[in-house]
Amino acid sequence: MSGKKNKNIIWRMLELITYKKTNRPKTFVLPEVDEQRPNQQQVSGQQQPPEGGQPSQGQDQRAAQPEDTSQTSEAQQPKQAPAVVVERAGQKRRIPKKPLSASEVRSARKDKDQVKTDVDSNLQVLKQAFHAPENKDLIIREFSLSNKKRGFLAFLDGMTDKNIINEYILKPLLDQENASNSEYKVGMPLEDIVLTDDTQALKTFGEVINNILKGNTAVYVEGLDYILICETIGYEKRGVEAPKTEIVVKGPQEAFSENLRTNITLLRRIIRNKDLVTEFFELGEKSNTTCAIVYLQGLVNPLILKEVKRRLKNIKTDFVVSIGMLEELIEDNPFSLFPTILSTERPDRTAANILEGRVAIILDGNPIVLIVPITLNALMHSAEDASLKWHNTTALRMVRFCAFAIAILLPGFYLALTTFHHEMIPTELLIAIARAKENVPFPTIIEVLLMELGFELIREAGIRIPGIVGNTLGIIGALILGEAAVTANIVSPVLIIIVALTGLSNFALPNYSLAFGIRILRFAFIFAGAILGFFGLALAAVLLTLMLVNLKSFGIPFMSIIAPRTKRGKDIVIRWPLWLQENRPDYLSPRDRQRQPEIARQWTQQNPENS
Amino acid sequence: MVEMIKEGKIGMLEAYALVTVIIITKVFYTFPLASIKQTGTAAWYSTLISCACAIAFFVLVYLLLKRFPQKDLYQVFEAVLGQKIGRFLVLVFSVYFLYYAGINLSEFVNILKIYCMPLTPQEVLVAGFLIVTAAMAYVGLEGISRVAYILFYLIIAGLVLILLLAIPFYDFHYLKPWFGYGLGVTVKEGILRTSSYDTVIILAIIANSLQGLKNLKRVGLACLLTAGAVFSICLACVLAAFQYTAGGEYISGMNHLSRIIYYSRFFQRVEAIFVFVWVFASVIAVSATFYIALSSYCRVFNITNHRPLLMPFLFLTFAFSSLPKNMAEIIDIYVRFIRGYSLFLIVLAPVLVLLIAMLMGKRGGKASETQ
Amino acid sequence: MKLNKRTFLIKSVALLFICCLALSGCYDAKEIDQEVYALVIGVDKGTGNMIRVTFQVSTYKEGEGGDSGDSDKSSGELSGTVISTVEATSLIESINMLNSASNRQISLSQAKMVVFSEEYAREGVGRYIEPLTRYREVGDLMRVLVCRGRAEDYIMENKSLIGRSLSKDIELSFLQAANTGYYPDVFLNEFYVKLSSPYAQTIATYTAINDFDVLPEDSTEQNTVQPLPDLQPGEIPRKGGNKREMLGTVVFNGDKMVGYLNQNETRFYLLATGKFKRGLFTIDDPKSPGDYIVLNVTAHGVPKVTATFENGVPHIKLKMLIDIEIAAIQNRENYYLNPAAYVELEKYIETYFSSGILDVIEKTQKEWNSDIFEFGKYIAGNFRTIQEFERYGWREHYREAKVEIELNANISRAGYYYHPRPIRSDK
Repeated sequence: MSGKKNKNIIWRMLELITYKKTNRPKTFVLPEVDEQRPNQQQVSGQQQPPEGGQPSQGQDQRAAQPEDTSQTSEAQQPKQAPAVVVERAGQKRRIPKKPLSASEVRSARKDKDQVKTDVDSNLQVLKQAFHAPENKDLIIREFSLSNKKRGFLAFLDGMTDKNIINEYILKPLLDQENASNSEYKVGMPLEDIVLTDDTQALKTFGEVINNILKGNTAVYVEGLDYILICETIGYEKRGVEAPKTEIVVKGPQEAFSENLRTNITLLRRIIRNKDLVTEFFELGEKSNTTCAIVYLQGLVNPLILKEVKRRLKNIKTDFVVSIGMLEELIEDNPFSLFPTILSTERPDRTAANILEGRVAIILDGNPIVLIVPITLNALMHSAEDASLKWHNTTALRMVRFCAFAIAILLPGFYLALTTFHHEMIPTELLIAIARAKENVPFPTIIEVLLMELGFELIREAGIRIPGIVGNTLGIIGALILGEAAVTANIVSPVLIIIVALTGLSNFALPNYSLAFGIRILRFAFIFAGAILGFFGLALAAVLLTLMLVNLKSFGIPFMSIIAPRTKRGKDIVIRWPLWLQENRPDYLSPRDRQRQPEIARQWTQQNPENS
Repeated sequence: MVEMIKEGKIGMLEAYALVTVIIITKVFYTFPLASIKQTGTAAWYSTLISCACAIAFFVLVYLLLKRFPQKDLYQVFEAVLGQKIGRFLVLVFSVYFLYYAGINLSEFVNILKIYCMPLTPQEVLVAGFLIVTAAMAYVGLEGISRVAYILFYLIIAGLVLILLLAIPFYDFHYLKPWFGYGLGVTVKEGILRTSSYDTVIILAIIANSLQGLKNLKRVGLACLLTAGAVFSICLACVLAAFQYTAGGEYISGMNHLSRIIYYSRFFQRVEAIFVFVWVFASVIAVSATFYIALSSYCRVFNITNHRPLLMPFLFLTFAFSSLPKNMAEIIDIYVRFIRGYSLFLIVLAPVLVLLIAMLMGKRGGKASETQ
Repeated sequence: MKLNKRTFLIKSVALLFICCLALSGCYDAKEIDQEVYALVIGVDKGTGNMIRVTFQVSTYKEGEGGDSGDSDKSSGELSGTVISTVEATSLIESINMLNSASNRQISLSQAKMVVFSEEYAREGVGRYIEPLTRYREVGDLMRVLVCRGRAEDYIMENKSLIGRSLSKDIELSFLQAANTGYYPDVFLNEFYVKLSSPYAQTIATYTAINDFDVLPEDSTEQNTVQPLPDLQPGEIPRKGGNKREMLGTVVFNGDKMVGYLNQNETRFYLLATGKFKRGLFTIDDPKSPGDYIVLNVTAHGVPKVTATFENGVPHIKLKMLIDIEIAAIQNRENYYLNPAAYVELEKYIETYFSSGILDVIEKTQKEWNSDIFEFGKYIAGNFRTIQEFERYGWREHYREAKVEIELNANISRAGYYYHPRPIRSDK
């Protein structure tokens, strides 16, 4: 023992200075394309997309793809294009073919897609489609009816309401046993046995799989040539809550939630009109997200509608998960700094826009709705504008337009003024600024850029810090940073005020995307002012106007009321009283222009009852 | 046939704003100086005489266009004078407009250097300006007219503000003696200076983008009347503030008016704000004339896309703007040609064409006038 | 949009060119603390043909101003400003020379007043006035003053005692012109325009330093001083406060100073030209000699002037209306109890003012032949063309003009009292 102990100590000490081979597990490295072995394709579910480094020769070969019908031997497997062996400069390189996209796969399988008439092969198809033994989400419930026919239920765990399946599908099906002396006949069609509210008989596996993915249940009984889909959607979702960004005092406190059906319902509760139409689209080839457009048939201009549908149908991309992605994919000019599509999370605002002749686009999984087409003034309206009295709204809009101008122009104006046009500043202020700047070593443009950078940092940091701490830190951080910077003679005090005012004006803008665009634009104006003073600012302003005038939002010029001049509505800058707003916006060319007769308050024309 | 390049339609108000701004811009330059130097205290109604002549000229152009319905001025030239001479005339117009743009640009830059930014080299200012001109010409007539419409209100507001704020210094007795340097001089200068209003012919050139001939008449008359009123009032105010002696000395009378604004110790020396107003007006005027020159050239040679020609024309404009060596040359040679004698080209050509058309009995396609 | 190499190269080269604008375009950009701003410019005669220019510039040291204790006379520091004098051939040259001595560039864009010494003004300011108006930096809104003595000494006493900012002081002191009417407020713009104007002659404000030795130490001298003594600037009997004083108008003929009007004459001048705003007049009480009545006078509109020619002699008629409020009646008797008495007082006031104005006009005609009343504007209406008017040469013919005044005074209010009660004592 002692020897071993000794050995242990000595060895341990020796081990410290000797080399040992250690057992480290291998880390995962995605193999290069030419290391791929050809029998890997037999393993199901392993698709290895080829990495970049492919010689361009292989591309032509991969171009013409879809008939891999040669591949479909016995098993309908997920398609993996086999590696093609190419001789190039004596080297054998295996270049796998580009994997097929889901739509190609689907179209290739059309003839193999039909529902079979026996339970086992249908089961087999479904299991392999969902990679069933590994994928634990697919639940298959087999049963046999009283007439000895077998059948199965297939659904995705978690997407369905188990209650409905138990009570209204399984119970009536299996209750046949005890209902032998009831009026149920054995040869009844399946639709009459199953008790759910919405059933569809589908004959192709593609549609069946889509429906299972949505949360419906597939029911099949032996002998049928179709699969019955029952509506059993019941997944977890967030309820209707108060809006988070567009907060109003005097209005409804409901906002959209993630579920598409809930959102459409919220709209239907406001617009109880039979002409309110919802159309569905599937976007994204791997994600298959549902997208709905809502409009008022008979009011909306059919050309606008056609354009919206055309754009939505012709998007080919991988996945569209967030509304921002959808916006980027369908907007007119992706390089413009100003958004040309309005996004809102309030149903009442959406309803108001639909009733003016616009189209609302809702994406499943997003509580924000897009409204097209819009003009510049729509970006400056807030949600509360219609609820307040008209003079309050008009005054608030004036404040917002001032905020817009200040947010873009103020730092550039200050810079141009203090570097080029000293004579415009009143003398006392000038001397005061000069006294403050005596101790500051940087030129004005560096000061401005430093303070702007500091402010942007505070904003970004404030977003990431959770909870209440974030707000407090933001305010205190700004104050302390400003104070400290002034005391340390890095910036002059006037600049703190300028930057704070600019930041505040930015927050005062009602539209989130617009505020972002303006943050970027502000820097362009700072540079223009620093280079050429007021001349530069004026040139930059003309360029901005040119850019705005050229923007189009779904066919309608963005500055529509101003240029080109269309009939001035009553709700642009000055909001006229509600009973004077007689026409819908002219630039949308709605089918029905007049929204209320000339006298909306008919009670003013009548004598009251008791007089 | 000289074909139309796709220019789209512009509305009445936009056309009005565009052409008015092009005509009015010169009041910020040396227009008051030249006018007061020539006609003294009668400058303010001498310009009204010019306006009346310009209206007469515009009516003649309208009659010419009425004879050839649905054709604009260049197509009329070609119809009356034949292809070769017609196109040559259009080419001359194109060169004239380019020259106009270049000289206006050089005048603007020189005045900017004098009043605002004395140390920046001229080339830098011209280059900055030409970038914006290129962007505007790239977008085309619709874009320019919409920008003109939006900025028109700002320009007029700025002009009115200068005139109103300088009121404490006005003394309208300085407009006496009423006849200036004599009625003969006044009338002769008045007729010669019709050239200041002759850019209204742009309306005839873009006639197919307006909506109908009647609209053209209304817009043209409105432009001329507005421009006449503005010039007359501005000249009267410059005379009232500075008398005919000093008014004939200051390079840019309107800028000097903005320099004497004084309301309290806070509100003085605000002339830098009016830089915005002149820059807006100048950008629109120079871009529009540049674009017209470009599109005229394209129509001579049947080029449908004007965008590739932007760069060469920009260089040409830069060259024209570097022609004058100093301010004195600008005032006495170049601008004097544009605002004093160009009427012999711009006014005389359509009038001669009208005479020829009437003598030779040429008329346009449809006998009935369209709306 | 495919971004292949070639487009990328072209675009980046173009962007680089544009960025060069940023490097080369900052010629005009000057930081505020790169310049010092001259608040006052003084012009004196130098030796030979040169002029001496004095600049008072504002400094940027913190936390001072108003203390004259720490000012170092030899470096010209004076309560937040620095005064320097240089001798050069012209104004711009003087700035250039001073720039090589001072560590920052001197800028004239905030200059509030320009002071010519009387000696210099009498020789003619025309030669050196040009840079002030032709040069872009100098605003047209400077005031023009002529001072007695040397401008250098005047500026050395120019400090602000009330607040820290000298420019505020200077600007506010010119507002007093509207309050009292003792001196006119003349802008450089008007001054320059009228230099070459055939209609009128120009004026400037008269100013000087008061050495506080006019106030008699004892009041044993019993001279009866008239209610409104004629004073020159620098002679106001006072002590304490700022030494700088503005009183009276300087009359120019062409560009040479030919004389001055004292403060009372100035007020009549301002009334006649319609530039008078308000002021307090002290006149002899007609009903009780030795006592005074103080009137608060405001001009009611601009006087209407008609000018005609009769037999080649210009006849000018002025019609004015002034509004009077009685501010004080030293004798507390109830003389002015009834409207009839008011009418009498009004007539007295009217004669007082008309004769005053006519005296001033005569003085300008006879002594200096200088039309500072701008009657030329009205005479010009009688000529058809500018050539005729210029040939006539109004400036020479000014002394032949015959002027008549029709002045209406209107006493509207008398302050708080209607019936002042006599003061009772035991007598």
